[in-house]
Amino acid sequence: MVVLREGICPGLNQDLVQALRNLDIRTVEDLVSANLEELAQKCTVSYKALIAVRRVLLAQHAAFPVSCADLYEELLSSTAILSTGNHCLDKLLDSGLYTGEITELIGGPGSGKTQVCFSTAVHISCQLKQSVVYIDTNGGLSANRLLQMLQAKTSTMEEQMAALQRIQVFKVFDVFSLLKCLQNIRIGEVETACVGTSVKALILDSVSAVLSNMLGGKQTEGMSLMMQVAGELKTISKDLSVAVLVTNHATRDGSGQLKAGLGQSWSHVPRTRVLLQRVERPGASSGLRLATLTKSSRQSCRVEEEFDLGGWRGPEDMKAGYSGKRKLECDTPGVD
Amino acid sequence: MHRTIASLPLAPSVKTKLTSAGFDTCADLKDLRPLQLCKEAGISQEEALEVLQTLRSDDGVGGVNPLGGAGAVRCGVTALQLLQREHALGDIITFCSALDSALGGGVPVGKTTEVCGAPGVGKTQLCVQLAVCVQIPVCVGGQGGQALYVDTEGSFLVQRAADLAQAAVEHCTLLAHDHEQQAALKDFTVENILSRLWLVRCHDYVELLAHCYLLPDFLTKHPEVQLVVIDSIAFPFRHDFEDFSQRTRLLNGLAQQLIQLATEHSVAVVLTNQMTTKVWNGQSKLVPALGWHLFINHPVRWRLRYLTASLRMVFGIWLLPPPQAPPPPQAPPPQCHRVSGPG
Repeated sequence: MVVLREGICPGLNQDLVQALRNLDIRTVEDLVSANLEELAQKCTVSYKALIAVRRVLLAQHAAFPVSCADLYEELLSSTAILSTGNHCLDKLLDSGLYTGEITELIGGPGSGKTQVCFSTAVHISCQLKQSVVYIDTNGGLSANRLLQMLQAKTSTMEEQMAALQRIQVFKVFDVFSLLKCLQNIRIGEVETACVGTSVKALILDSVSAVLSNMLGGKQTEGMSLMMQVAGELKTISKDLSVAVLVTNHATRDGSGQLKAGLGQSWSHVPRTRVLLQRVERPGASSGLRLATLTKSSRQSCRVEEEFDLGGWRGPEDMKAGYSGKRKLECDTPGVD
Repeated sequence: MHRTIASLPLAPSVKTKLTSAGFDTCADLKDLRPLQLCKEAGISQEEALEVLQTLRSDDGVGGVNPLGGAGAVRCGVTALQLLQREHALGDIITFCSALDSALGGGVPVGKTTEVCGAPGVGKTQLCVQLAVCVQIPVCVGGQGGQALYVDTEGSFLVQRAADLAQAAVEHCTLLAHDHEQQAALKDFTVENILSRLWLVRCHDYVELLAHCYLLPDFLTKHPEVQLVVIDSIAFPFRHDFEDFSQRTRLLNGLAQQLIQLATEHSVAVVLTNQMTTKVWNGQSKLVPALGWHLFINHPVRWRLRYLTASLRMVFGIWLLPPPQAPPPPQAPPPQCHRVSGPG
C-alpha cells in the first residue's frame, strides 16, 4: 500500500492530496480503483488531471511483463555456477552453487554444515577470487579456521590475506538484525572492503538459529518474519546475481526420517537441498560425511555421495565434472 | 530509511495498524510527529513515541562495538580483521596442562562452551576452578579478569572456592620469579579473588531468563568480567516443564542471547549440562540432556567421564576442529586426555 503524498508523481500537489484525503482516498490503490468521474464531480479537480495522475501512477507501480526469450538471454549472461571446491558436492549440486538460487544444507549438530560453508567461502574467495558475504548467527565462525583452510590451498601470505579480505562477515543474533542486514545488502548500502570484486555468494549460517524461537506457541509474527527473510534472500539472489547458501537444522518426521527444520512453508523456499550426516562405520575417519540430495530441480533426488571434510580437494580434481554450462573458474570464461 | 515497517522490532499489533494506515517503509514515517502518527495510524501516544524512537535508534550508526548494535549491520568486518581480533582475545587457561592441550589452549573467549557429564564427575569443580583461573594476573599468564557465576542448582560452596583460590595463589607465587610478577601477585590474595567473583543464585527458569536479559547491562557496567558461568543450564528446565516445544523455544532464545553476549562483550560463556539416557535401536547411551538440537551450534562441547577418584577423562566433542591443531584425517574421533584434579 503506497500512501498518496505530494511529489510522488508530477501533477500530484498538496492541494490535490488534501482534496483526495477528504474524500477518503489515501493510497495509490484507492485512487486507481476509484471512479474518476464521481471524484471529479465531488472535488474541484478536473477529470483530465485525475486521468493523467492515474496513468502516471499506474506506470510507476505496475509490473512489466518480460518475454521468455529476453529472460533466457538475461539468464545466460548473468548466471554463473560457483564450485564449492569439493567435487563430490559439486556432483550433487549439478556442478556447483547457481547464482540466482537458494541452496540449503541441513543436518544435525556436528554434521559438518558450518565446515562446508567455510570451505565454500574459502574456495570462492581464494580460487575464484570473488567476494563472499558471510552472515554468522550462532557464533560458529572462526577466522583461525578459515586461515587454516587457506594455508592448505596457497602458501603465500599475501594471497591468504587477500582472500581473507574478500570475505565480509556480519554477526547478527536475532531476526530483526538479520532482516536489517539483508535489506542493507539488497539496497547495496553495504560497504565492501574490496573494490574491484563483486559479491558472488552469500552464506547464511544458520537461518534456523534466529527463526526457531520465533515460531510456534502463541506467537503470531514468526511465520511473517520467516517469509520476509525468504523474500529478502530471493530478491538478493535474483537482483544481485548472487548464489545464496543457507544452513538449517534437521528434525525427524513421523516415520523417523530426517527432514529440514522450520516447517513446511520454509521447505518451499530453497531450490536445492542437501542433507549431511555423519558416517558411523567402524574404521571410518572422523571427517567422513554422507551427503544426500533431497530436493533439486535439475537432478534426480536421493543421490548420495561420501566425502571427507578434512580432504577438500583443489581445482585439478574438478575437471572431471565439467558440465558444459557456464562455470565461474579463475578468470577464464566458460565455454558454452 | 528503506527498511520495511514489517521488519522493525515492534509489537505486531502496532505494525498491523501502521501498515493498514498505508505506511510501508521507514521513509514514510520519517517526518511525522508523534501526534500526527497517533491520529493517522490510530495508535496510542506511547506507542507512537516508541515507534519513532525505534526508527531513530535503528537508523543511527550507534554502538561502540562494531560487532554489535546498529553499526555492525551497516559495515561488517572482513575475515582478516576478525582474525586479528581473535588473536587479541586470549584463552582462559585452566593451569592443568593436559586439559589445556585437550582444549586447544583453554576456554575460548568470545564463544560459548558446554561442559556435560554424569553427576559427580566434577563439572561444578571445573567451573569454580575456571572462575579462579580467569583472575590470574596477565604477567603470570592469566587473563586478569573477573568472573560471574550463575548458580541454579545451589552447588556453589564458598569454602571450596576459597580452597581453590588458596591453591592458585600458592601455585602462582611459586611461578613468579621477577619483580614485576611479584608486584602483580601482591594483589592476588584469597580475599581479592573472592571479591572479584560475582555470584547470582537463580531458583527457577524465570529467574534465569530474567537474569540473562539483564546480563548485557551488568557486563557494560563491569567490563573487567571475562567469564560467565551458568551452572547448570539444564536443572531449571528439566523439571516442571510440561510444554516441551515451549522449552525448546526458550532454550533457543537463551542460546542466541548468550552467544550474542559472548561476541559483543568478549566474554567466555561456560554452561554445564546434565546427561540423560537415549534409547535408540535397542541400545542405550548417555547423551547430553535437553534435546538433540539444544545449542546446536556450540563451537565446543566437552564431556567429562569418571575414571577413578581423582582422574577424569575429557572428551572434546568438537563441532569445529580446535583452532590450534590442524585436523588430522586419521585421528580417532574423541580426543581423550587423562586429567587429574587440582590440589
